[in-house]
Amino acid sequence: MLRRLCTVSLLSFTLLAAAKADSFENTAIVRTIELGGSLVHVTTTFAVKALEAGSTVYTVALGDAETQKTSWLEAKVKGQATPLAVVDRAPDSTSGVHLVDITLPQALGLNATVNIVLETIQTHATYPWPERAAQQEDQALKYNTDLFVLSPYHTAVQRTKIRSPTPTVHSYTTPEKLETFTLDAPVTKSGATITYGPYNNIVPSANKEFILKHQQPVVVHFGYEYPVAEVPTLKRAAEISHWGANLNIQDEIHLRNAGPALKGHFSRLDHQTQSFYKRSAPHVIPGLTLHLPAGIRNTYYYDLIGNVSTSRLRTVPSVPKNAQSNQYSVLELKPRYPIMGGWNYSFTLGWDAPLEDSASWDKSTGKYIVEVPVLTPIPATVVNDAEVKIILPEGATNVEFATPFPAVSSSMSTHITYLDTVGRPAIILHFKDLTEKHALPIFVSYNVPLTAHLKKPIAVAAAFFSVFAFGLVTRRIDLRIHKK
Amino acid sequence: MPKAFPLPSDLSPATVANTASLLRIVALSLISGAAIASRLFAVINFESIIHEFDPWFNYRATRVLASKGFYEFWNWFDPTAWYPLGRVVGGTVYPGLMATSGVIYNLLHALNLPVDIRNICVLLAPGFSALTAWATYMFTKEMKDESAGLLAAAFIGIVPGYISRSVAGSYDNEAIAIFLLMFTFYCWIKALKLGSALFGTLAAIFYFYMVAAWGGYVFITNMIPLHGLVLILMGRFTSRLYVAYSSWYVIGTLSSMQVPFVGFQPVSTSEHMAALGVFGLLQIVAFTQLVRSHVSSKQFQDLLFVALVTAGLLGAVAFVGLTYKGAIAPWTGRFYSLWDTGYAKKYIPIIASVSEHQPTAWPSFFMDLQFLIFLFPTGVIMCFHQLRDEHVFVIIYAVMASYFAGVMVRLMLTLTPVVCVAAAVAFSSLLDTYVDAAEPEEEKSSETSGAATPSDASSASTSKKSKKEKAAAAASTPGNALTDLVAATAPTKKGDAPKAKGIYGIDTRLAVIGNAFAMLAFFVLHCTWATSNAYSSPSVVLASHNPDGSQHIIDDFREAYYWLRQNTPETAVVMSWWDYGYQIAGMADRPTLVDNNTWNNTHIATVGKAMSSSEEVAYPILRKHDVDYVLVIFGGLLGYSGDDINKFLWMVRIAQGVWPEEIQEPNYFTPQGEYRIDDMASPTMKNSLMYKMSYYRFSELFGGGQSMDRVRNQQVPKVGPTLDVLDEAYTTENWIVRIYEVRKEDLLGRDLKSANAFAKGKKRKRSKPVSKRRPIL
Repeated sequence: MLRRLCTVSLLSFTLLAAAKADSFENTAIVRTIELGGSLVHVTTTFAVKALEAGSTVYTVALGDAETQKTSWLEAKVKGQATPLAVVDRAPDSTSGVHLVDITLPQALGLNATVNIVLETIQTHATYPWPERAAQQEDQALKYNTDLFVLSPYHTAVQRTKIRSPTPTVHSYTTPEKLETFTLDAPVTKSGATITYGPYNNIVPSANKEFILKHQQPVVVHFGYEYPVAEVPTLKRAAEISHWGANLNIQDEIHLRNAGPALKGHFSRLDHQTQSFYKRSAPHVIPGLTLHLPAGIRNTYYYDLIGNVSTSRLRTVPSVPKNAQSNQYSVLELKPRYPIMGGWNYSFTLGWDAPLEDSASWDKSTGKYIVEVPVLTPIPATVVNDAEVKIILPEGATNVEFATPFPAVSSSMSTHITYLDTVGRPAIILHFKDLTEKHALPIFVSYNVPLTAHLKKPIAVAAAFFSVFAFGLVTRRIDLRIHKK
Repeated sequence: MPKAFPLPSDLSPATVANTASLLRIVALSLISGAAIASRLFAVINFESIIHEFDPWFNYRATRVLASKGFYEFWNWFDPTAWYPLGRVVGGTVYPGLMATSGVIYNLLHALNLPVDIRNICVLLAPGFSALTAWATYMFTKEMKDESAGLLAAAFIGIVPGYISRSVAGSYDNEAIAIFLLMFTFYCWIKALKLGSALFGTLAAIFYFYMVAAWGGYVFITNMIPLHGLVLILMGRFTSRLYVAYSSWYVIGTLSSMQVPFVGFQPVSTSEHMAALGVFGLLQIVAFTQLVRSHVSSKQFQDLLFVALVTAGLLGAVAFVGLTYKGAIAPWTGRFYSLWDTGYAKKYIPIIASVSEHQPTAWPSFFMDLQFLIFLFPTGVIMCFHQLRDEHVFVIIYAVMASYFAGVMVRLMLTLTPVVCVAAAVAFSSLLDTYVDAAEPEEEKSSETSGAATPSDASSASTSKKSKKEKAAAAASTPGNALTDLVAATAPTKKGDAPKAKGIYGIDTRLAVIGNAFAMLAFFVLHCTWATSNAYSSPSVVLASHNPDGSQHIIDDFREAYYWLRQNTPETAVVMSWWDYGYQIAGMADRPTLVDNNTWNNTHIATVGKAMSSSEEVAYPILRKHDVDYVLVIFGGLLGYSGDDINKFLWMVRIAQGVWPEEIQEPNYFTPQGEYRIDDMASPTMKNSLMYKMSYYRFSELFGGGQSMDRVRNQQVPKVGPTLDVLDEAYTTENWIVRIYEVRKEDLLGRDLKSANAFAKGKKRKRSKPVSKRRPIL
């Protein structure tokens, strides 16, 4: 009995240890950071060697700051298209790292190797420096990261490449006290690429001691030639109408130029001169180009004080459902004024789309299934807070929904609009820090009984009938005191 | 009886009545549809947007009412208007318009129809124009008959004179006021005809609604008493008049005093004294009638004479005495300018500066009323024909409204309904005469036909005659009309004995009716043209055409206002000329110094002074009023003529009215007396803040070439003005709106001019001594 208990505890201990230590070894880690404005793409390739047979769960570690910034994470085996299953470990505030378990497609044999590519997108990772820039000045950003890629396993060699979008790199950190890891220059720069490493023989680093002892910050100050757009709030309402065979999508977007704030004042003369010579300042957002779905109609774009008539829209007809085609309508959206650094612009954009493009009916269960995208991708822009409200037809029951990634919060409410009697069920979802990678559909399924479909015509008929009945009665009432 | 064309004879009267009733309903619905549809040009060409200036305030107030409820609106103190004074909105507006929209809004929302409040405001005027058509139909029906009523409804539905104030988006008091005016008059006529207290009360209720909706209610307050007085003087006093007037006056006055903005005015101002006087007179006359039925004729005459003289003297003395003591306020300036068109220009430039307060130009009568203006006198003359009590009303209305329309452009609106009514009466008489199939019988039976046709024949001849005298008729007065009438009616009265007059054959009929319908068709064409071209521009958004013919929208106003709204602190005070106050409050949502509610002349003059003086003088004014941004309208690049440089002389004049020592209008002209902005402009002009703000860096836009101001067609000086106390903050795409930020005091305590010179002097060291010399000057 005692012995048995012992083996159980021993087994569980080894299981824990499997994740923690010696089941894998990193033969090489290469991290490539593509610097950008709102979004920074980080691709980390782990060349992994299994030290135990039958290991399936590989764990990667992110530092605290990195966890904060990372809004999207995907792991693949190099050369394969299907992403691997990824499970976040419960956050642990003491260790200073956040662990993510990646399940490999098949168990590795002893000394077998695999290349795992971890792709992440960081948001709010850069900030303008200097914080203010005049209309004619250039824009430069700073990016902070950690020097070492943390890993719970022993790492033979690792390096970090930081690629700036322009060759103008104003400054970068030269790390010190790296004698334990390398004897060469700790950092080299060629063109727009800054390489940290290679650093050799790194002990398992996903723990507090290593971070305190060796981890150090790296700051890159680089020139950036595109505006840094940011959407502080996005409110999307998707209204499904069965009577109109229509899916209305309306986005209330608050757009902000997160680049350096405008120093001094905006001069129209300078702006016109710049655009005349096609030398527009890098930190001006003159407009956005959005890809809207195919087959949309009645597109509208207005703000708090009315229609904005400065945009162009090219629509394409609906694409048949199973056809492989990525056609989309193009909207060249121009705000009322060029958005300089630190300026805001809020507007509403909406359109109608045929419901059959995004809905289907399951014959076996009698359920409708509708897909509603979380957001329309705005290139190189982060959405800080998004609220997605999906309004279902009146009388919809058995509402279920599946989000492509977990929502911060979700709730149900009732939305009342034209010709409603009891109101429509609505799903409200909140998301944080969305990027163009998050433009994935939410699936909603529901039943609509026939009686619910007939509610509207009956309500309208009843209203008309009561008006006529009222007229009928009043015509026949005589209130005169003296009959003539 | 001979017929010009065959008529079906086997129809029962019930069928005819029912068919006529159905046709009337169909016709009225079509007229309503046409009235609404013709007002939608602005929505279709542009968008569903609130127009012009005052509607923006009404819209903003309605939003407060709809979102916060009526009590909150009633007690609304707006600290952002007339900064730093603020404005008690609840007590200084006619709340009828906002209340109407608020009621519609809440009703629709209670019915689960969540219509946007903006759309309700935009479409309120077209909706009420349909109601106006209906009210005019009811009113004209009382004058003549249903067919005249339908014509009048069709006329008022599409006449440009009314459309000019009621296109979709023109969310102003007039939008609902004309319906209320016509319906109050209808109730009054009905009450008078029936001697009905019910209709008198209805008239009072709609009068109350009118008081709550529009300052022009004074027109009703004086029209109805005048009608009553004329009827008494004509010896037409009846108990019906007594009942109708008393019920209207008592209930109407008491209820009108419930509107806070009106308050005790109905018993304390001169404009309302006529109504009170006629009310008193009616009591006296009624009492006299009572006495007359009880005493002998001789005694009564003595009694009457003494009583009348005493009452008249006492009344006049009391009125004058009270006016002097101040219990009755004398007439307001706006009212004086109704009698003396030069009054406002001399004493109150702020009233004269409003374009809609100018006297009407002759062509605008034709523009607004087209052929109705020729039919109008005819219709008035035809009212003399029967001269029932209600016809007297139309005649008085016609005379009064014609006068007022000639004095002030905006009062064209009150003339339009009576023109439509009178024209419809005339036109339908013409049609009655010529559509009627009856032909006069041969000479033997002239006695029988005489009874049926003379009135028709005479009316036809009257209208023909007046058509010949079109030009003269436009200016005709009742005096002329009377002689016309005598000339026209005299022969018919005598002439039915020798030969039967009348219309023979179908060709005559077709010729006249065809002509008449052609006139109607041209009228419709004219109305459509005038509406789409002249009256459907929101003036917030301008339109031009691209070379390929497509419409190009110039949206600079909203661009600037939205920029202010999104990128300045919410408490930033914006100074602009008062025209743009309501728009800034409505669209940019920022505090303003002055706005279109021009109640404080001194405050406006302060802004005028700041705009028209040099930077050194203006800066303390700007700082004292916490001004953060100054907004000017500049049309020089695009040729937009309604800009601030063209309005500048009014700013100068208004400022001069308060500070005659500091601002003098002649200083802004060249020695030759020209108003110029080029190199020859006077130094005062060139140093004024307005000039500097308008032309700051304008000439640089032309890159050394000839810089042309396209409004004034003058060349702007190559070396543009410099600004020391202001910074350019924003200029719109076509340079129409330019916003400047007021600089804060220099941190080192220098004056901004030398600080600015110092900052520049770093680059050009030579200019340092110059900047030192300048402050000494």
